[in-house]
Amino acid sequence: MIALIASAFFMAAASLPPQQASPSSPTTSVAQAAGDFDQLAQAAKRAREEDRDDSAIDSYRQALILKPGWDEGLWYLGALLYEKQNYFEACTFLRRFLAQNPSNGYGWAMLGLSEFESHEYTRALDHLQQSMLAGLGDNKKMRSTVTYVIAILLNRSEQFDESMDLLMARVASGEDTSTLVEPLGLAALRLPFLPAEIPADDKEMIRIAGNAVLALEEQHYAEADKLFDQLEATYPDQPGVHFLIGVHLLDSRPEDGIKELKREIEISPSHVTARIRLADQYIKQQNVDLGLQYAQEALKLAPGSASGHMVLGEGLIAKGDSARGILELETARKASPDMVRIHWDLERAYTAAGRVADADREKGEIERLSQQEQAH
Amino acid sequence: MTFNRLAILRAFPVLALLSLAAQAAPSPLLQSPPEQSFDQIMQQAESARAANRVSEAIVLYRQAVQLRPSWSDGWMWLGDLLYEQDRFPEAQDSFAHFLAITPAPGPAWAMKALCEFEMRDYSHSLEDFETWMHGGNQGNEALTDVAEFHMALLLTRERYFDRALSLLTERAHRSGETLLLVEAMGLASLQMPNLPGDYPPGLREQVWLAGKAMFYLSKQEFERAQTYSHRLQVDYGQQPQVHYINGLLLKAQSKSDQASQEFQTELQISPRNSQAMLELATIDIDKGKLQEAMSLSQQAVQIDSANPETHRVLARALQAGGQTKASAQELESAGKLAPENAAIHFQLATAYQRLGRKQDAQREMSTYLAMKKKRPAQDGSVKMQDASPSLEAPQ
Repeated sequence: MIALIASAFFMAAASLPPQQASPSSPTTSVAQAAGDFDQLAQAAKRAREEDRDDSAIDSYRQALILKPGWDEGLWYLGALLYEKQNYFEACTFLRRFLAQNPSNGYGWAMLGLSEFESHEYTRALDHLQQSMLAGLGDNKKMRSTVTYVIAILLNRSEQFDESMDLLMARVASGEDTSTLVEPLGLAALRLPFLPAEIPADDKEMIRIAGNAVLALEEQHYAEADKLFDQLEATYPDQPGVHFLIGVHLLDSRPEDGIKELKREIEISPSHVTARIRLADQYIKQQNVDLGLQYAQEALKLAPGSASGHMVLGEGLIAKGDSARGILELETARKASPDMVRIHWDLERAYTAAGRVADADREKGEIERLSQQEQAH
Repeated sequence: MTFNRLAILRAFPVLALLSLAAQAAPSPLLQSPPEQSFDQIMQQAESARAANRVSEAIVLYRQAVQLRPSWSDGWMWLGDLLYEQDRFPEAQDSFAHFLAITPAPGPAWAMKALCEFEMRDYSHSLEDFETWMHGGNQGNEALTDVAEFHMALLLTRERYFDRALSLLTERAHRSGETLLLVEAMGLASLQMPNLPGDYPPGLREQVWLAGKAMFYLSKQEFERAQTYSHRLQVDYGQQPQVHYINGLLLKAQSKSDQASQEFQTELQISPRNSQAMLELATIDIDKGKLQEAMSLSQQAVQIDSANPETHRVLARALQAGGQTKASAQELESAGKLAPENAAIHFQLATAYQRLGRKQDAQREMSTYLAMKKKRPAQDGSVKMQDASPSLEAPQ
């Protein structure tokens, strides 16, 4: 992983246009200082090009004392420190670089990766996402690395569905899937760990779950079924297993899927998502009262759940209480403005209620989100 | 981890007024000619800051404080702007200059401590957080929130697990669930002297489960807390603190017999666990088993005499046994160890009242009321052991 990141980084570094020294030093600087700076900058460049990293780091440090805002120096010093696995100090210089270049996607990526290596996971996730927004150009290796790290950090912060979406996008893009098995297994079983944090006893379970999800995505259904059976037989009492199998079965054998989800709730009594999936399924089957009951149970456990409010809203509308249904959907929208299904629900509900302007606004949101997704 | 700029501005109202006054100033140049006066540069700096031209403002504030190093507001704003850009070493330096000129208690101590935290200068960071806390933890809600959270992380690192959990529990009350908060609560409750993310990866599951159990316990969402505590027991039942956490959960649901059993199991696994002793002691006090309570709390004091809670629980046991004078002495010890704990001042006032020491009682009650007025939520830091209505601070 390190080698991959470093090589992606230096490709990015090589593409950074060399810049002149920042003009921010006082005009009182003497010519001698300017001469010293030029000498140091040249020495640093030479040392870097000759792979004399320690010498380059020294020269960059000295040059930056003379011109603290020198972009090129900040960038290369950050890069070299990263290469030397001095991630903590790399962060210091990359932050200074980004303060002057806030739209530099590579910079955010390097900072996020350095923070990841420093175990500052919350900050790393923020900055890696920022790098994707700022853009990483055509550098596929860098993009691939950043996406992978974002996916495993999303999973660690319990954003399992978002993590799964990113991982699936990688599977769909035809990338090598061998590194994705564990992250997929973790997200599928809703275990908020990095691959490196998997407890030894759980490794096999997570591997089977990951392979099952992968087989499903690659439409190898017989193999997927076999793996799900193996998972259930080997780990019948492990939290997360019946939820995964239940969700898998809902499409093909809904009654079995429901049984599995209920079993999950027995094992994990406060499982919010299992209740939401049950509510959703019952509403689909026109058993709205039971659906509403599960949605309400889910919201009692997690009052802020956007999906919970969404499903409750859908159930209320199905039951004919569109006023309360719309209110629930609006609460869901507030909690998760980027969830497209909520906007579709609202568009239909507003249209049915004759609220044309509101319905149009939702259409606009759907379009915006769809464009946003395509852009990514 | 960072917080927004507006929030910081509100922490320093005087400076915010200055910034409004400067909004009409002309737009500055990045490089000020040397002949420019301090006043001109200061005005340009204020304008740049007001217009959110952060990099430019930093350059100008630097020039201004170089011309007039005694300009304390300049150092403060410079630190604020640098912190906003995550330039922690430079920000720390600015706050240090500010505090050299204006060392009085105030939010700058917390800002400096936050910078030091980010620079991994943890001992100075905790020192400055303590100074800030003893000075009345001044600052707006956003600053207090972030500062207390980071202080709790450092207290955990330094093995002050009780104090850390008190601060984290308060935060859980105030705000929702976050990855870092759960992790921090997990570490403190498992008595692991580590920072979030910075511990052997194999312990992640245990930390996560303990953190979830403690977070939901602090929110009094017992069913959810129980789910995680159960998983913790199934997978890590022989590890220290696991039965203690479950005991806390049971005790919070008034299941004192089951809780008692869990604390005893914990003591079999970790015989020197003073927290479990204190919890057992309070259950014994409630049941009138004063001899057992006294013995357990005295053991806890011997093991962990630097922990104010040990003295506080012993004080309760002594008080329950009618030994008011000895109880007051233990409370005095607790008060010396945790002067910021409002509940101790209340309990001392009650004890002095009983001893007929009216002036002392009045002083302690005034201190308690002043602290309560400033931070009504602080009573949330009252420990699990404080179940006795006679000694509990009023909510």
